[in-house]
Amino acid sequence: MRNIHTTRLYDPWPDGVEPSVPIEGYTNTWLFTPSQPAIRKPVTRTETTGPAELWRKLICGDGNLAVTSTGKWAQGLYMRVFGQILDEDSRPIPNAVVELWQANAAGRYAHTLDNRRAPLDPNFLGNGRVRSDENGWYEFHTIKPGAYPVPVKDAWWRPAHIHFSVLGPGTLSRLVTQMYFPGDPMNDWDRILNSVGDAAARNRLIATQQHPRDAGTEALGYRFDIVLRGRNATPEA
Amino acid sequence: MTYNPENRRFPLSQHTIGPFFPPGFFQPGDNDLTRYSADATPTEQGEVFILHGNVCKEGRLPVPNMILEMWQADANGRFRSECDPEGDQADPDFIAWGRSWTTMEGDYSFRSVLPGSYEEDGQRRAPHLNVLLMGIGLMKPVTTTLYFPQFAELNAKDPILNLVPEHQRDRLLVQPDGEVDGVPAYRFDILTRGPADEETIFFET
Repeated sequence: MRNIHTTRLYDPWPDGVEPSVPIEGYTNTWLFTPSQPAIRKPVTRTETTGPAELWRKLICGDGNLAVTSTGKWAQGLYMRVFGQILDEDSRPIPNAVVELWQANAAGRYAHTLDNRRAPLDPNFLGNGRVRSDENGWYEFHTIKPGAYPVPVKDAWWRPAHIHFSVLGPGTLSRLVTQMYFPGDPMNDWDRILNSVGDAAARNRLIATQQHPRDAGTEALGYRFDIVLRGRNATPEA
Repeated sequence: MTYNPENRRFPLSQHTIGPFFPPGFFQPGDNDLTRYSADATPTEQGEVFILHGNVCKEGRLPVPNMILEMWQADANGRFRSECDPEGDQADPDFIAWGRSWTTMEGDYSFRSVLPGSYEEDGQRRAPHLNVLLMGIGLMKPVTTTLYFPQFAELNAKDPILNLVPEHQRDRLLVQPDGEVDGVPAYRFDILTRGPADEETIFFET
């Protein structure tokens, strides 16, 4: 632990970036979303700080979900998802714990609560955890998830998406989000993605497909940079 | 590298974790803040306690698979972080962070040590626990801060607790609840949505 006192600045969420809740047609948000406004409070030490060496508690792996530990290949379209964990000043965030989970190629999760009539893939668990490197980079090798329906009244289909949970340097930089795929018409109909009011903010949740010359022939490539809240107030040395 | 306004980026939007957060992400000891990992030596500083309770949605129905994360200062009121001026003196065996998920009955629990109080910007913070809750139906996490009834004098001066209307402050106190595994237990039940005077008090992030 270096004996340097730094301060992290956390600006309020910009307009239109936070999802607008509860969501029309998404029943569960009406059963869970607090009815009372949250109490405003200043940013203090207890929020700017966060756990040191969290990877000792949340053990990180190699991020390969496409092949089992015994060498069996999952079914689906192989892809690499990668990007940089950054703060609001584009500073890389090293040692962030990055968790990913997703449906299989048929749009079903390997989870006891997912009883949809779609095949499970015995070679695909669909989750992994990695730690960002010294320049904030992370990567996962996985398969492209399938779309699936949300079984509510006026059901809709979730477009293919990947869940991310990121634990950065402070508890206010904690982020849980979802990544979408470019060019999917279902993105425009998804009630979850469209709960984000600002079009530019929605676009930032859509990954960028790598050019074939960069992706190579093993797998498709999608870049998804993850910007966490917060800026470092300490000037560069 | 210098940082200028051209490097400015917007944080990504928050989304729900949905109903399928992987059970495989949980390992024994994840809800134990007193040690870095299940096989690590626990901290020797501070008074160990258990915090437990349940999580309910509208209609007081308990909810399984909700994820709770807790963060707090060490027994001496320090955080092992560069953002604490005394962070280099913080307890190196205390990770101060844990994650719990609710059972089929909606129950959660954490094991930790009583946090210390500390001075910040000339004001004294009472011992407190920061709890973040996420799950199905919550498009973004909700957060709250919990206090202990035995520190009434410190609580009365805590600048954050004082942002809550006076007649509601007691609702952020954990309740003494006997002993579990030979250590003092406290209870705090969470209601994410309900009547205004029963719904848990949450703070903006």
